Amino acid sequence: MAVSDRARPTARFAQMLSAGAAAGLPLVSFAFILGIWSAVGLSGVVNEAIFPAPWSVWSATVEMWQNGTLQKDLAKSLGRAGTGFAIGATLGVVLGLLTGRVALVRTLLNPFLNLLRPIPAIALVPVAIVWFGIGEGSKYFVVSYTVFLTVWFNTHHGMEYVPDIYMRASRSLGASRLREFVTVVLPAAAPHIFAGIRLGVALAFLSLVAAELSGASSGIGFRLQEARQYVRTDRMFSLLIILGILGAVTDLIVHRIGKKLVHWEQG
Amino acid sequence: MTEPQTGRVEIDDLVIRFKGKQGPVTALERTRHVLEPGTFTALIGPSGCGKSTLMNAIAGFVTPAEGQVRLDGQTITGPSSDVGVIFQQYALFPWFTALSNVRYGLKQFGLSKREEIDRARAALAEVGLEAHADKYPQQLSGGMKQRVAIARTFAVGPKVLLMDEPFGALDAQTRLIMHDLLLDIWRKHRATVLFVTHDVDEALLLADHVQVMSHAPGRLIRHYPLTQPRPRALSRSGNELLEIREEILGLLHPKSTHADPLI
Ligand SMILES: Nc1ncnc2c1ncn2[C@@H]1O[C@H](COP(=O)(O)OP(=O)(O)O)[C@@H](O)[C@H]1O
Ligand SMILES: [Mg+2]
Repeated sequence: MAVSDRARPTARFAQMLSAGAAAGLPLVSFAFILGIWSAVGLSGVVNEAIFPAPWSVWSATVEMWQNGTLQKDLAKSLGRAGTGFAIGATLGVVLGLLTGRVALVRTLLNPFLNLLRPIPAIALVPVAIVWFGIGEGSKYFVVSYTVFLTVWFNTHHGMEYVPDIYMRASRSLGASRLREFVTVVLPAAAPHIFAGIRLGVALAFLSLVAAELSGASSGIGFRLQEARQYVRTDRMFSLLIILGILGAVTDLIVHRIGKKLVHWEQG
Repeated sequence: MTEPQTGRVEIDDLVIRFKGKQGPVTALERTRHVLEPGTFTALIGPSGCGKSTLMNAIAGFVTPAEGQVRLDGQTITGPSSDVGVIFQQYALFPWFTALSNVRYGLKQFGLSKREEIDRARAALAEVGLEAHADKYPQQLSGGMKQRVAIARTFAVGPKVLLMDEPFGALDAQTRLIMHDLLLDIWRKHRATVLFVTHDVDEALLLADHVQVMSHAPGRLIRHYPLTQPRPRALSRSGNELLEIREEILGLLHPKSTHADPLI
């Protein structure tokens, strides 16, 4: 570039503007949707009981906060999702490393695990309730099972994609198998493992709500179900929006952490 | 400089085959050859003739269909730090800094941390990269990456050094600098070098022996011993190197008028 940015204040301003716009772009989208939603509410063409206006949803949120159920439900749901995720992700990584590296384990388990993968989490809820009752056990089971399969699958395939040239370089440098595994295979597979973990986080919420919708006495999913019984669409909308925000924020956090840990991956 | 006694590579009736769609495909035709300790051999031949395959057999990456490769009398059955390999794609670990990449190979010696770091730094200094020790490969240019790879490999003291088109991805200017650097380090460490290239000039500038391979399935068809002192320059080496150059180009492009450099 012949001309520096300093010499062209207009270009610099334009740059700042576009950077600011990029950061604020999601807000524009939210404001747009909120605008339409408000307009629909004001027009009065739809039944408020079926499709509540933004201000009704807001007051339902405040109501749930003030009577304390929202905090309690959030804590319960986050606790279940977190515990289930931790169990499932740990098992998934460990087993993925094993099936990725040990032919015997792979032969014994992969066909079976691949058969389990298409079963949706929600289909497991009845079994989980029979096995673990409607307490915490069934929630942990459904969440950890779902997370496990995704994390296992990604870890396993990450191990397969370790570039051959790294293994060749490693062995020609006289590294032991253990050192090679810890300092070459694992980091080479890490981007895939993290992709699996990120998916796992999203699925943890998904499967948790599925588990809470039937057979629970607390949590966001239970509260949704309860709102249905009282036809409180305002509460339903509130809870759905909270779920959306919760999912987006955790995804962002996990993504940031992953980028830090797998710092050598571009993009 | 004493003559090295180790690093003798005997390629003994070696044949390499791969599984193809219609049965086995011969990638390397029966080859018998000896690389004497401390020599620098350039291997040149048409694309796909089996240069990398021969190299991979010496490195212990592929198993011979017939015959064997011996290093100082011992049959090679797999990779080891006695046979160093430099790849065209560098093969540096992107999660390690330049220094950690070099340290990776040194771990096997069970040095103290202090000593390990000192030796890794010395190896990087040898290739002129001491100032870049803490950079990651992605922060280095192609030439610098290959220097780290050279430092990493020489640091473990290989008896044999295999280089598969190591400078093929570098620009002409950088390549010349790398030639000087490689010859310098090789003089100090005296490994037996096998250097694959498709650049005839590069072979003539660097090697004691130039081996030419036939079209696929490849075998060695011609040997040119070079005794000209280094550093060499094709323009001022008299006509001898230029004559060999013409001959090799003729072998590689039997029908064409080999006016343009081969690639
Ligand atoms: N892993 C492999 N599997 C099957 N065929 C291979 C493999 N590696 C090389 N070949 C074949 O062997 C022949 C020689 O390849 P290579 O040694 O890479 O040639 P060069 O390095 O001289 O260009 C080619 O026909 C190539 O397709
Ligand atoms: Mg090749």
